[in-house]
Amino acid sequence: MKDSVDLDAVQIRFSLNGEWQQLSVPTNQLLLGLLREGFGLTSVRASCDRGVCGVCTVLVDDEPVAACSTFAFDVDGSRVETVEGQTTPGSLSPVQRAFVECGGMQCGFCTPGMVMLTTGLLRHTPDPGPELARRWISSSICRCTGYQMILESVRRAGELLRDGESRA
Amino acid sequence: MTALAGRDTPRRDSVEKVTGRARYAFDASLPGMLHAKVLRSPHAHARVLRVDAARARALPGVHAVLTGDDLHNVEPGHGTFVKDQPVVALDTVRYVGDVVAAVAATDEQTAFAALDLITVDYEVLPSVASVAEALQPDAPELFPVAPLGVVPGYGEGASASLRPARNVSYEFRYRTGSEDVWASCEHIFEDTFVFSRMYHMHLEPFVCVATADEDQIEVWTSNQSPFPLRKELARLLRFPENHIRVHVGLIGGGFGSKNGCKTEPIAILLARASGRPVRYCLSLEECFLTLSQHEAVITVRSGVHADGTLVARKSEVLLNAGAYSDASPLVTEKAGYRMPGPYRWEHIDSVCQAVMTNTVPAGPFRGFGGTQATWASERQIDLIAERLGLDPLELRLQNLKRLGEPFVPGESGIDSDLGLGLQLVADEIGYRGRERRPGRGIGIAVGMKDGGGVNKPAQARVKISTSGDVYLHCGLTEMGQGSHSALAQVVGQTLGVEPARVKYVPVDTDSAPFDQGTNASSGIAVMGQAVARAAEDVRRKVLEFAAEWLGQPVAGLRLVGWSVLGADGELHRLPPMIMSHFGGTGMEFQGDGFHKAESTHAAPLEAPCVFWEVGWAAAEVAVDEETGRISLLQLIVSGDAGTAINALGCRGQDEGGAVMGIGQALFEELRYEGVHLLNGEALDYRVPLAEDLPPVFRSITQEQGHGPGPFGAKGMGEGGFLPVAPAIAAAVADAVGAQLTQLPLTPERVLEAIDSRPRAEQSSAPSAPHATALP
Repeated sequence: MKDSVDLDAVQIRFSLNGEWQQLSVPTNQLLLGLLREGFGLTSVRASCDRGVCGVCTVLVDDEPVAACSTFAFDVDGSRVETVEGQTTPGSLSPVQRAFVECGGMQCGFCTPGMVMLTTGLLRHTPDPGPELARRWISSSICRCTGYQMILESVRRAGELLRDGESRA
Repeated sequence: MTALAGRDTPRRDSVEKVTGRARYAFDASLPGMLHAKVLRSPHAHARVLRVDAARARALPGVHAVLTGDDLHNVEPGHGTFVKDQPVVALDTVRYVGDVVAAVAATDEQTAFAALDLITVDYEVLPSVASVAEALQPDAPELFPVAPLGVVPGYGEGASASLRPARNVSYEFRYRTGSEDVWASCEHIFEDTFVFSRMYHMHLEPFVCVATADEDQIEVWTSNQSPFPLRKELARLLRFPENHIRVHVGLIGGGFGSKNGCKTEPIAILLARASGRPVRYCLSLEECFLTLSQHEAVITVRSGVHADGTLVARKSEVLLNAGAYSDASPLVTEKAGYRMPGPYRWEHIDSVCQAVMTNTVPAGPFRGFGGTQATWASERQIDLIAERLGLDPLELRLQNLKRLGEPFVPGESGIDSDLGLGLQLVADEIGYRGRERRPGRGIGIAVGMKDGGGVNKPAQARVKISTSGDVYLHCGLTEMGQGSHSALAQVVGQTLGVEPARVKYVPVDTDSAPFDQGTNASSGIAVMGQAVARAAEDVRRKVLEFAAEWLGQPVAGLRLVGWSVLGADGELHRLPPMIMSHFGGTGMEFQGDGFHKAESTHAAPLEAPCVFWEVGWAAAEVAVDEETGRISLLQLIVSGDAGTAINALGCRGQDEGGAVMGIGQALFEELRYEGVHLLNGEALDYRVPLAEDLPPVFRSITQEQGHGPGPFGAKGMGEGGFLPVAPAIAAAVADAVGAQLTQLPLTPERVLEAIDSRPRAEQSSAPSAPHATALP
């Protein structure tokens, strides 16, 4: 914030999984560390630390970002979502259900990131079609599945979301 | 037979994985935990004259520093058969990235700062960057003094030796049949193939958390083989095995790499020195410097009759093992043993060597030597077909081993119909009636490896509580392959309960039955047999108890849900029976199961192979003759599950393996300039992405029903990887007549192969098979 005199820390206010948070963060703090260590959101894991692999993907104002390559102060005023915020007790989100149903995971290390990437895609384009889905999923690495079952999960998630909306 | 319960349902860990609740060693945390970082050598080969860590030790926040001078009462090296890798460098570093010192501090930043304060004096030594350099008679030696090493027992025709030549740590040989048959061969072809070196790129790094004091070591680690790790830690640290406890949670991918000592010894020694728990997590760049696949140079000489009958094969496989042996001796054995491929030969003479170079150590990688062997073997079959003017598919069908025919004398019979699988993928892609179009081609290939490990004992325990809740104890780890889910299904099916009622108890070496490790696609075919027997054992005990209680003959009783169905057709609930008989808090029934292939000296590897893992592939490509670029248009892969325990799981294994194969075929490669790794990080090392999938990509899970595992199951997971690169290379040859012998099939290599086509072939239209013979 402008009135801060501490050059090494900055006050930020952001919404995390639907709850507003206000705190001071060091200026070199990464979003990954803030979410993982600061808030105990352990679904946000590190792998490449280069914004390449997508393991740490979270949504910031509905856009997928690599938490390992985003400064914590950058999310000031934004809505941040992790996979922990997608589940209500006893109920998975349509995207999560689709990944379960279609077997869109093996070791699971990339899965929270893939679920958030898919959630972001379907908010951006509710019916993306195979080519757009493939382009978006190409921003993350899965070393296990060979992607086909992830792409099927994305398609199924779109169907579930659109079905849900048409019923509502 | 009726379908297995849970065959078509999602894997059991799906929900924890999509919600982020899944726990990996990466997530392990203990109060007061320190963080470890290591100093790595900038030199490929150097003598370590002095390590001065005094300033690092004095830095506030640093609790322990480990250098070669601090290794008291620690064995000099670890490894599978050859114990040549020190925990930290003793007097020599052998590759760029070799560990020289380690630090534990309150946080990673402080640990990094401490590393900057360590000074090391090196005397740089001459180094060897490649297999060719390492084998020169006057090449610098990585190990002038022999490290501790052992050679296991081998059976008929097989043998091995340590240090047979300069810079060779291990050599495996296999021979069968009379070499006189060479004289009967109308053609003899000799070709050399080069196999490139990939990085595993498991997304969860090498990571562990350790605690240690004088009496007890405990470690939570991302390691696929907890018992072999415990044994090696005990030997290395001169500590009783029953005072070392290894915990393994979910593993975030391994593909072979997470075997043996990786992060654990450093974390343990720092924990002991500091009296605090230590987390040691490698960055991805450091993982690139820890283990890789084996690069290989493979020379194959094959003798054939004019009609295409394969007769004799002599092969030499030179594996680049890197700077330390790790599990290279085992990979050497397998690469050598797998060189015959799935074909019938009268005579086989195979040698494979692990050659030490001053590069990143190589170790197990999905396919385990079989991928290297398949590349050379399948490529040469295509070359032979071309030279004899035969169709590559027909040549294969003519020479493939039949169902039940032993792989080699003394071995088990092949438990898949190899021709059936090959026809399947060929038909699926339309190989036979294909339209010949310029720059377009189709190739097929088959890969086969002995699966299930050698001589591997498997043990399992199944327990059932009074209320019918089931525990499965076994040492097989879950790294994405879905074994925990599948084995719970096997228990559920045997006991007549829902698989969801079976809990797979987290793996911990203090409580799980001993196991030799999660490897060789052994989960279902080997461990599955022990698990099924444990479930049968406990079922028998429950039914015997019920028979006595009910006063009915045991033969007429059946377990249904957690009730006993009597011969009278009445269903008797077990909990009241158990409470009435045992009183108190009731009883837990327990059953044990064991499986091991019978040892026999007639089998070359001292025990016959448990099952044969096969992958078939058909690929269609378009090749741009101007740029050399390959576009993969179709890829059809197939494996034989024997019987699919979980259909989604089987499909996932084959597709995941196939896409790794696309990477191996087209672009994945650790690039070296001399001894320096150029692309050891995620930005520079390219792995397949969703956009790399061909427009048509299908996997077909065959269920041929001949597997030795529960309900006829076979292992999966590696087969789908084996045939992909050779199928794509064959498709390139079919498209433009260019025969590539080196992976990956980069545009440069494609152009070079196009340019070196025989003169008459230099038209873009594919013609009849190219019939040329070696001089």
